[in-house]
Amino acid sequence: MAVCIAVIAKENYPLYIRSVPTQNELKFHYTVHTSLDVVEEKISAVGKAMADQRELYLGLLYPTEDYKVYGYVTNSKMFRKLHNSFTDVMCNPFYNPGDTIQSKAFDGMVSAMMVQAS
Amino acid sequence: MSVPDYMQCAEDHQTVLVVVQPVGIVPEDQFFRIYKRIASVAQVSIRDSQRNLYIRYRHHYLPENNDWGDFQTHRKVVGLICVTTCGSGKEWPQTSERFHGQKEVFGATLYDSRLLVFGLQGEIAEQQRTDVAFYPSYDDCPDVEKKVEDFVESIFIVLESKRLDRATDKSGDKIPLLCVPFEKKDFVGLDTDSRHYKKRCQGRMRKHVGDLCLQAGMLQDALVHYHMAVELLRSVNDFLWLGAALEGLCSASVIFHYPGGTAGKAAGRNPSAAQGQAADAGKRHRPGAQEVLIDPGALTTNGISADTSSEIGRAKNCLSPEDIIEKYKEAISYYGKYKNAGVIELEACVKAVRVLAIQKRAMEASEFLQNAVYINLGQLSEEEKIQRYSILSELYYLIGFHRKSAFFKRVAAMQCVAPTIPEPGWRACYKLLLETLPGYSLSLDPKDFSKGAHRGWAAVQMRLLHELVYASRRMGNPGLSVRHLSFLLQTMLDFLSDQEKKEVTQSLENYTSKCPGGMEVITLPDGLRLHPVPFTKLPIVRSVKLLDLPVSLRPHKQKGLMENSMSTKSPFIYSPIIMHNRGEERNKKIDFQWVQGDVCEVQLMVYNPMPFELRVENMGLLTSGVEFESLPAALSLPAESGLYPVTLVGVPRTAGNITVNGYHTSVFGVTSDCLLDSLTSVRTSGCLVEVIPSLPRLQLSTSLPRSAHPLQPSKEELSSSVSVQLFNGETQQLTITLENIGSEDLETLEITSKISNTKERLFGEFLSWRPGGGCLTPASEARPVWSPSLSTSSQTGLLWRREPAPGPDDDGISVTGLPISSPLRQVLKPRAETRPPGSESSKTDYNHVKMLEAVMTFKYSGGAGKVEGYYRDLTLGLHVDVEPSVFFTRVSTLPATSTRQCHLLLDVFNSTEHELTVSAQNNQDLVLHASECQRMAIQVDKFDFDTLPQPDQETVRYTSLKLLEEERLHAQASMINSTLGITWDIPSVRRKGEASVEGVLNQLVLDHLQLAPLQWDVMVNGKPCDCDIIADCKVGDAVPLEVKLTNRSKNTVGPFALTVVPFQDYQNGVQNYDLQDAVTFIGSNTFYIDTVNPSEESLCLGALLFLYSGDFYLNIKFQDDSVGKEPGAGQGKELPLSWFGLPSIHIRAQEAPMEAGA
Repeated sequence: MAVCIAVIAKENYPLYIRSVPTQNELKFHYTVHTSLDVVEEKISAVGKAMADQRELYLGLLYPTEDYKVYGYVTNSKMFRKLHNSFTDVMCNPFYNPGDTIQSKAFDGMVSAMMVQAS
Repeated sequence: MSVPDYMQCAEDHQTVLVVVQPVGIVPEDQFFRIYKRIASVAQVSIRDSQRNLYIRYRHHYLPENNDWGDFQTHRKVVGLICVTTCGSGKEWPQTSERFHGQKEVFGATLYDSRLLVFGLQGEIAEQQRTDVAFYPSYDDCPDVEKKVEDFVESIFIVLESKRLDRATDKSGDKIPLLCVPFEKKDFVGLDTDSRHYKKRCQGRMRKHVGDLCLQAGMLQDALVHYHMAVELLRSVNDFLWLGAALEGLCSASVIFHYPGGTAGKAAGRNPSAAQGQAADAGKRHRPGAQEVLIDPGALTTNGISADTSSEIGRAKNCLSPEDIIEKYKEAISYYGKYKNAGVIELEACVKAVRVLAIQKRAMEASEFLQNAVYINLGQLSEEEKIQRYSILSELYYLIGFHRKSAFFKRVAAMQCVAPTIPEPGWRACYKLLLETLPGYSLSLDPKDFSKGAHRGWAAVQMRLLHELVYASRRMGNPGLSVRHLSFLLQTMLDFLSDQEKKEVTQSLENYTSKCPGGMEVITLPDGLRLHPVPFTKLPIVRSVKLLDLPVSLRPHKQKGLMENSMSTKSPFIYSPIIMHNRGEERNKKIDFQWVQGDVCEVQLMVYNPMPFELRVENMGLLTSGVEFESLPAALSLPAESGLYPVTLVGVPRTAGNITVNGYHTSVFGVTSDCLLDSLTSVRTSGCLVEVIPSLPRLQLSTSLPRSAHPLQPSKEELSSSVSVQLFNGETQQLTITLENIGSEDLETLEITSKISNTKERLFGEFLSWRPGGGCLTPASEARPVWSPSLSTSSQTGLLWRREPAPGPDDDGISVTGLPISSPLRQVLKPRAETRPPGSESSKTDYNHVKMLEAVMTFKYSGGAGKVEGYYRDLTLGLHVDVEPSVFFTRVSTLPATSTRQCHLLLDVFNSTEHELTVSAQNNQDLVLHASECQRMAIQVDKFDFDTLPQPDQETVRYTSLKLLEEERLHAQASMINSTLGITWDIPSVRRKGEASVEGVLNQLVLDHLQLAPLQWDVMVNGKPCDCDIIADCKVGDAVPLEVKLTNRSKNTVGPFALTVVPFQDYQNGVQNYDLQDAVTFIGSNTFYIDTVNPSEESLCLGALLFLYSGDFYLNIKFQDDSVGKEPGAGQGKELPLSWFGLPSIHIRAQEAPMEAGA
């Protein structure tokens, strides 16, 4: 299960970020923030080759001592759920693209994906 | 070996290491000057061969690391240059001793050494020694470079000999086993004769020879040797050395592929050397490489055995770029097997990353780096940690991972001030933190944040800003902390929680108490400029609106002058060029004016986004164009206030166009100038306004209280208004005092008034005014010639009379302009009243309170503004509630005895709640209780309305008939009113007023009251005869009867026929007309009066003869209508009957005296 889930805008700022050990949230911010380098690198590398059929699964981005950071993926159930939920959020006519996600449904779905904090 | 050299790169493998060290006391700056000069000799081409020798200089090198020299020869210190100061010959032995001591340290590996002695002159300096050079001073050593080159050449000779020595070792000879320090104990007691051991020795030696070849500039040979070493070592599973051989292979290939070097700008430790290298590298490497390609055969002469070069083809020798990375990976994995080789592994990683960075393979590079992060080097000192994180950051930057780079830089910064460090390096920390800014896409220029929504990772950015604030504070630079904290508050406001907002502002206040924040640009020592941070969000300004002056102070342009100025501007009425000016909305000129010297207002709609009360101090306007005195305001906005209007005021001191550019505030001790140009969210309707020259300013005060409620038609804005309650017909005096409170002299004053209430029908004049004569004298003070002391009070007292009276509409009373200097008295006498309800109206109507409203306008000007053609209006609204007082419910007339008089009967109704006394001229007072109605009779002379002035032709032409008629009625009614002079008095409340019959008069009553235009005079016996007069005559005498008609009408009248009918009244209702026996006419009893022209008279004469005594009456009748039907008599028929009110004549005939009868 995931300990931290973040949705990042294309300008590389977080639309949504949530982590389970809330006491050290900033650490996850840093982890996610730094792994963006890898995402950027992967996307730009792929973009040159085949922009059309870009594989959305970026795989393991960045292993840290405690956690592993995975990029966006479509071929796993977990990420498909996230993707669908994200699509729902984007379909909300009252959502302003670029704003921080504050949807309850999205929140609930993310909670379901997270490690249940004991 | 514990200290890694993070600056290493692959091409360092081809260098020879020379240590430059000070001996004895050498000033640091002098040493480094010399060191730089030495280090500039980084590359020497060796004579007689086309090879280059590369030298790496270090001024500090651990002897411990030197022990790894066999493993990788570039780690071996082969040269030593000592720099020393020697003042006198006495010191020389000691110095020499030290030099030798220093040599001992690296003794085992040194090929050669040099001593540079500065300051020594004389005997000792004369001696020729190859290893010592003497210079008189640090400034006088021209041939240091030359000496170093010689030195390098000597090193090369040793190197070359060693290389040849090793390379030509026959396989049969006993090859010593090279080993790294930690291996030494492992080999104790090993069988040195085994095949395995021999192979190991061979492999290690091959690798060593490869290193030497590489250093000696024989790249191709080196590659061959490395390949062989790899083969040998692989077969014996000597992993550490296999790794080294592979790395050597990689290094050689890198040198071949990337002659420009892989270090990039990172070789910062000896920058001048690096520069020199970088500049020359391209030139010098390439020819060497080409030479190898072109003439490989030439190499064989240098002693490489023919079999090796033929064994492996040249193309294969050099690794492809992809293979380089593969081999590096392999090498690193082998190094990883040995805990003690951590430094080697780490350095290999760093080297590989540099290569990958050049190949632009960031992902793989990041893997190497990731690996490097996990290499445990045991206990690191804090400084080493910082160095390690910094280099990681640098390497990540190199491969384009800016965020990662920033992360490590930040970690390094934090390491600088780790709690375990006794003296935290806050400056270094701050400097490193600043370098992380781009990685977090954070710029310290608030302008970058003003455009649109915030972009970036707020949580992380906020953290960084907090750290910057803290670091700068610990650095002892509170100004910086304030700047950073302001920036944090301004740009991250949306992301701060309520609690954080409180904390941030509290600490900001703490800092600013020591060092107030301002708008100046802070320049850091390293040249970074910190732009000021205006608090445009504390408070947030939503709109800026320039306010017009209050109505009473608004300047107006004289009409005529305005046209002139228009025409001078442009010869065209319409110009598309001006109209389509693409000026911004903000620059649009506003269509009102401000006045120099008068307080002007700008309204801002602000709100406080903070969860607590926000105190804004010293808030004022920023303007340009005109000298402007801003009067700052302090305000306190409640927590999350919502839109809140704030008015900023100021006084323009000169005339011209003023632009409001923004505002300045002081919040939490930080002053900020917020310019509207940079605030995109601010709505404004224009910021440019014209300031006209100063005008006088009048203040108006009245003797009546100010009106609570504004006038009904609120379309007109009034400076002030008064209200008063009056009974109908009451008169109230109102004194208006005008005071010039401005700084300019009042030069002109015009007064006009206007009744604004049009809903109700108004009667008579409503307002009358009269300037108080004496009061005008202060006006002379307005003339500066007269009174240079300029007391600025100018008073004009005006007397107001109000006399509500019935009458036709009369709104818009125009009062002629009144030059203030003339002490003329003028009376305006407007009156107004509501039409009294008809006699049949219900009582509730009487109690209805009517309202009357009027506006007085004072138009004044003076000073410089007058020259420009401006004036000001001061308006006074007047609101009157009129309560009914006395009504005439019915009016009727009774003929009086005389035809010239009549009785007017008035039913007077007291609609007030008080006892009321009504009095008329020549009449008794009538006391009326509340709601009582009584009749009063007044005897009045009939009126000659024709004496009233007629409206002139002009008026007649342009006024409707109805209006003319009303005008006429009004004139008649006023005449009646003034004659009657009916007044009322309420003693209980001491109110008195006039009552008017206007409005109740109808045509019939008027006709009765009017003196007929045809005046009939009847004379009996030559005496005028009227109703009450009894004419005496004698029986038997002829009584002459004269009827005179005076035509006072405008038209000719007549002809008329009059018949005199005598009769007797028996006073019992019987009238006897059968008097043929008693009265006889001498002549005809019918008179004919011919046409009478206006103002002419006509006289008819006749005579009567009374035969008996008695009382007779003569009734003069007009004859039958048919008479009037004669030509020319048509008008007569239309004449009203009342015109023919001839008096009835009473004649008393008496017996003649006795003697007459006798």
